[in-house]
Amino acid sequence: MRLPPLPPFPPLTAGPREDRWGYDPDFATAAQPWLDFMYKRWWRVTTTGVDRLPRDGPALIVANHAGVVPWDASMMAAGIRRHEGPDYRHPRFLVLDWAFSLPWASVGIRRFGGVPASPHNALALLKEGHRVMVFPEGAKGVGKPFSRRYRLERFGRGGFIELAMKAGAPIVPCAVVGSEEIYPKIGELPLIARITGAPYFPITPTFPLLGPFGAIPLPSRWRIEFDEPMALDHLPSDTVEDRAKVFELAEEVRQRIQAKVFSNLVEREGAF
Amino acid sequence: MRRVLITGAANRLGTVLAAELLADPQTELVVGLDTRKPDLPPHDRFVHVDADLRSPDLARLIAPHRIDALLHNDLLQFPEPGRSARTLHDTNVVGTLQLLVAAAAQPELRTVVVRSTASIYGSEPQAPAFFTEDMADRYPLRTRWQRDAAESEKLVAALARRRPEVTCTTLRFQPILGRTLDTPIMRLVSSPVIPTWMGFDPMVQVIHGDDAVEAMVVALRRPVRGAVNVAAADTVSLSRVLRRLGKTAIPLLPGAYGTVLGLAARLGMPRMDDDTARFLRYGRGVDTTRMRAELGFEPTLSSIGAIELVAMAQAEAA
Repeated sequence: MRLPPLPPFPPLTAGPREDRWGYDPDFATAAQPWLDFMYKRWWRVTTTGVDRLPRDGPALIVANHAGVVPWDASMMAAGIRRHEGPDYRHPRFLVLDWAFSLPWASVGIRRFGGVPASPHNALALLKEGHRVMVFPEGAKGVGKPFSRRYRLERFGRGGFIELAMKAGAPIVPCAVVGSEEIYPKIGELPLIARITGAPYFPITPTFPLLGPFGAIPLPSRWRIEFDEPMALDHLPSDTVEDRAKVFELAEEVRQRIQAKVFSNLVEREGAF
Repeated sequence: MRRVLITGAANRLGTVLAAELLADPQTELVVGLDTRKPDLPPHDRFVHVDADLRSPDLARLIAPHRIDALLHNDLLQFPEPGRSARTLHDTNVVGTLQLLVAAAAQPELRTVVVRSTASIYGSEPQAPAFFTEDMADRYPLRTRWQRDAAESEKLVAALARRRPEVTCTTLRFQPILGRTLDTPIMRLVSSPVIPTWMGFDPMVQVIHGDDAVEAMVVALRRPVRGAVNVAAADTVSLSRVLRRLGKTAIPLLPGAYGTVLGLAARLGMPRMDDDTARFLRYGRGVDTTRMRAELGFEPTLSSIGAIELVAMAQAEAA
């Protein structure tokens, strides 16, 4: 396979078009060839259901989370961009807080539209009319061992349901298959995790054995599917206060994503 | 608001504020409390009270002026040679306590406005991008300045509870920029090189000095109860700020930051306080909805606008 020439990776300094969240559209555009390479050549991603995303107005995209290093948000964004073309609206995404204490990575994530995972941030972004991607499994999902692949972890307290209701945004469930194999986690070094403050320190077949080469993700085949949006505005407004109902709705979203993960797994026919 | 007491009247913001209030014919009297004489032309409606906040006869000194509003503008942010950390705490906390006790003894008092700081929220990597006023106790208070500010805010809240007829407003300012100001952020901005944290480019939000004074005037005229964030609407990346100012950034390894700055301070460079150091690493944004909707104040300059103004002033001076 011949590799397409890649432009140099864009510098992390902010351009004049950055917004108040630190998202810089010029950076996101300049990083696109790199993501496209990962999308098309490396992981050969198939994305379906992009047309189910609302054309305008806010939307809360809820996806499963896996793969030790969360590449999924960037691939979902790349999938949407490729399908929407000129009408593309860049989604913002909530990122594990810890990432924002890291040098360089924190800056790159912010330039690409990531914000610390706080309901205040998510609500403000939705109210501004943005598409927001959340991963309710959080670190539990990304850091789960390889043996638990394709099975969604529990969804916390269902805070994302409250967010969607408060912002009047539809929920778009999204299933990602393939991120599970990019770094198969077979063990952990909890001591190093504790020292560095990281949520976990993974052992994969190549990491830390091969050093930096272990950071190269395995070229699994991916499928991303956006499901039918789920509107919540027909519910009475005091549903936000009803813990049991919120929890039930969150579980419904989880089941839908789980079902889509299984159906896409069947359609993928082989991980590599 | 007719008869106003301003503490810290000799510092730049206090002096400008006093002049601004005197320009309004509605103002009957401005009492400037400070140990230094404010740099103001003589005015028949201005009285200078030469006293320290910590002086025990504060109540007696201000009683004859029958004030109905108090603007507390004398919280000190950083120690200096001749102004120890001990003095700072005394002025900020004990001074505020004495002042509020003295003010509460004035029967006509209706308005209290305090110039506090958004540093009270801290600068944290995982913080929400925009702090709202109810998030003051979200993170531990890490620096002396934060603890002082939090303690004096508590004292104001106690007064507000005890004297319900007095409207107490706490204005939480983001770092105040202005050519003539001596604030930690201005010291940093005026130095030729700026030490940054390698690998970090935080979002910062500031307010221009003129807007800060205007916010205090507005708060005196239309006080609201409780804390209000005061800042320009936008946040900008530090890298953009430095580019606009034409400053050289010296990225320092996070582990060596304190050591290098300590050495630089020994060589005579200005010392950087902990709040500014953390601000340069993680930045901070505040939500200004309450400022606009309830206080009814809109800054004229954006953060980047304030920075451009300072950059132009610096270019002119050079």
